[in-house]
Amino acid sequence: MAVQRKWPILLMSAALLSGLLAGCGNNGDNGGSASPASGAEASGSASAGGELKPITFSFYSEDPSPNWANMQDDIGKVITEKTGVTLNAEFAVGDPAQKSALIATSGKYPDIISAKGSINKFVDAGAVIDLTELIDKYGPNIKKVYGDQLNRLRYSNDDNAIYVLPSYNGVGHVNFEAGGGFELQHRVVKELGYPQIRTVKDFENAIKQYLAKHPTDDKGNKNIGLTLNADDWHMYISVTNPATATTGIADDGEYYTNPDTLETIYHYLRPEEKEYFRWLNHMNAEGLLDPESFVQKYDQYKAKVASGRVLGLIDQLWDYADGEKALKAEGKFDYTYGHYPVTLDEKYKSTVFWPTGFMAGYGIAISKTNPDPVRTIQLLDYLASDEGQVLLNWGIKDKHYTVDASGKRTMIKEVNDRRVNDAANFQKETGIGSYVIMAPHYGDGVKDPTGNYYTLRYPEQLAEDYSDVEKEVLKAYGATIWKDLFPKEEEFKELPWGAGWNISVPSDNDLTVLDEKLKNITWKMIPKAILAKPEEFDAVWDDYMKQLDKAGVKKAGELRTQLIKERVELWSN
Amino acid sequence: MKAMSGTAIPAKRRTATRSGSRFWAKALRNRYLYLMSLPFVVWVFVFSYYPLWGWLMAFQKFKPGKSVFEQKWVGFDQFKTLFQDDMFYQVLRNTLAMSLMGLVAAFTVPILFALLLNEVRQMFVKRFVQTVSYLPHFVSWAVAASIVTRMLSSDHGAVNDILMGLGLIDKPIQFMAQGHLFWGIVTVSDVWKETGWNAIIYLAAMSGISSEQYEAAKVDGASRLRQIWHITLPGIRSTIIVLLILSIGHLISIGFEKQFLLGNNLVRDYSQVLDLYSLQYGLQMSRYSFGVAVNIFNSVVSLILLFAANGLFKRITKESIM
Repeated sequence: MAVQRKWPILLMSAALLSGLLAGCGNNGDNGGSASPASGAEASGSASAGGELKPITFSFYSEDPSPNWANMQDDIGKVITEKTGVTLNAEFAVGDPAQKSALIATSGKYPDIISAKGSINKFVDAGAVIDLTELIDKYGPNIKKVYGDQLNRLRYSNDDNAIYVLPSYNGVGHVNFEAGGGFELQHRVVKELGYPQIRTVKDFENAIKQYLAKHPTDDKGNKNIGLTLNADDWHMYISVTNPATATTGIADDGEYYTNPDTLETIYHYLRPEEKEYFRWLNHMNAEGLLDPESFVQKYDQYKAKVASGRVLGLIDQLWDYADGEKALKAEGKFDYTYGHYPVTLDEKYKSTVFWPTGFMAGYGIAISKTNPDPVRTIQLLDYLASDEGQVLLNWGIKDKHYTVDASGKRTMIKEVNDRRVNDAANFQKETGIGSYVIMAPHYGDGVKDPTGNYYTLRYPEQLAEDYSDVEKEVLKAYGATIWKDLFPKEEEFKELPWGAGWNISVPSDNDLTVLDEKLKNITWKMIPKAILAKPEEFDAVWDDYMKQLDKAGVKKAGELRTQLIKERVELWSN
Repeated sequence: MKAMSGTAIPAKRRTATRSGSRFWAKALRNRYLYLMSLPFVVWVFVFSYYPLWGWLMAFQKFKPGKSVFEQKWVGFDQFKTLFQDDMFYQVLRNTLAMSLMGLVAAFTVPILFALLLNEVRQMFVKRFVQTVSYLPHFVSWAVAASIVTRMLSSDHGAVNDILMGLGLIDKPIQFMAQGHLFWGIVTVSDVWKETGWNAIIYLAAMSGISSEQYEAAKVDGASRLRQIWHITLPGIRSTIIVLLILSIGHLISIGFEKQFLLGNNLVRDYSQVLDLYSLQYGLQMSRYSFGVAVNIFNSVVSLILLFAANGLFKRITKESIM
């Protein structure tokens, strides 16, 4: 009996122990391959400059890449073949700030880091290396891409090192298309005989008149005048940033900088913006604003757009595109949206196209534990070369694109159709679009030495993607593309600091905490002000201003002024 | 579980330590038991005690990339910042309010539900109801929150449609936009999601009550309500108390999933909780030390609550987990 009973106990403890050991063992292995991988491999190839000894780098990106196929796509295979490099990539999901903070403290850095707002965390931790010399020696193509923008790469006035190869912004980028402004459904302007949509009043009247005629859709559900997208950070895009673009200043993050004095203030302090929010308050009082605007989650917002019931939006195309796609798929082109250069009143012009210049700051860094920085730079240099750029954007010759006798590059028709209509699978198979932001690259509108554009977005191609309804509406307004309706880039003076939101705040600067506090107050009080009764709006706004003041909005402005001044100094010499 | 096995071992040891050799003799006899517990002791040490040395960070201005000894020591500065922050008191209020409401709900509804279910005589009905009731437990909060917001939506949400249909209200209520409703919404959705699941343990305890007691009560002429009151409830009393003490220990660390997913900017003053605060003002801003300080505060308060609750119950009911 006793003997019989022992067996299960022994077995159990053995199983538990081995389970525990296995757990530990596994952890050890993972740690090994994630961090400075395979020392032997590294030392072997470190000296060999151009040799193609296979090597694997770990890669971490703060930007998600849902269609990443582990380099098993067409382009990935070519890159591995040409450079010998395989990337073992990991992409942050959700808020990358947390993951990056953890990586920065852990001491186990990925070999290559593609950082956005968190780059300062890695620099502060001493996790990334200075690339200046490496670029000089091994990066002729990288230097060629950046050209005279190279001086924007330096980190700070105290630290002139280059830690980051900016890769989230294309060099020489030209915006061809308007994705912002205020949006109205085509059926609205069509029915009202294409009225001028220039000020918020025009926008309001169009919605009001249409809504009076058609209070419900064909199924009897109420039509919605205007809905806002206020879920988490979408608040910036759809609620607060438009307050700047409609009142004549550049969309420059949470602060407004006077271009002459560089004096910087929290932009909500501007009296003009109070009037913008008063208008939204008025829209709410009139019943034209969707009462769920500040309650709905992003998916509900998209579902609403997809239902076709929303007449007007104040948002960016990329933010509501998922909803609009559904409308297009159903063939309800009347229910899709056009973009209008709306401002608070006629004295302002829409600043949607205020140029920022080349945006350095976000990009690729190499960690100090990278086994072979030279090979890494060579990889990036290959990707930045003309050959590499065409590969990343256009794919493989005769498989994805053809070049005719006159040297004109064209996407093969069937390939392009799949690219437009079956985007996700197409990207997974070909890799077109997956690698562009992994290296220094040219923006839209830049031509290569053969006279073709580097990227797939160019004016001639844009109009082809328009629906018939869209073309009809544009024609009525005397335009061919939406951008034609907006004031042009040339009408604005480029800001010498690029864009305020692009300046990363050192983590021990008091501004990090101040910004968060101000944000909390703003995100709470702006909705409150908009939803208040019109006669109470002023009182709520005063309360808001008082709270900002108490939280230290003045000090935040001063600290921000300092940062802007430093950036201007850094970029100007 | 951990706590219950904890009571067993010291009791044994107390008798054994009277003489060293007896202890070792006993240990040798029970070696398999010791061996079996070893992995868990190691586990607790590795995951719960070893990381504690990181608490040092709370007294430093921690910068990544340097070792602990190269950091700048700042004494209690992080705690001072914490206790001087108005927002901290707001999130503390929200945390405690929601967890107390949750505690009350979690110790009444599931017990009532278990009692009712226990009285169902038809096995099939009982099983069916039970399965259906604990299904929502397996739905993640992300989905559950979406369901809740949809139900409470003013744009043809089910709740508003029903209330309007019954003529109780003439215009949809914006449930999710009212700060003072938020705590209630969180509590009710938690009850919906977890009641069935939490009832399982009580049902298990009830099935352990011997049927002779009920038969004896029936012979004495006790009604079903009497039986519940005098037999079922006392039968699961120790289960209830152990669970209650443990959850009081967790009062302050309620996580932030529900609040984060159900909240929006309009109800911010009521939806921010401590864990979210330490995440936003700590890790997300690379203020590692501050984040640790918040967590130390958390742990200390939890310990105090746990011991207080335990002591209280020991005195009143003579039952405790330690």
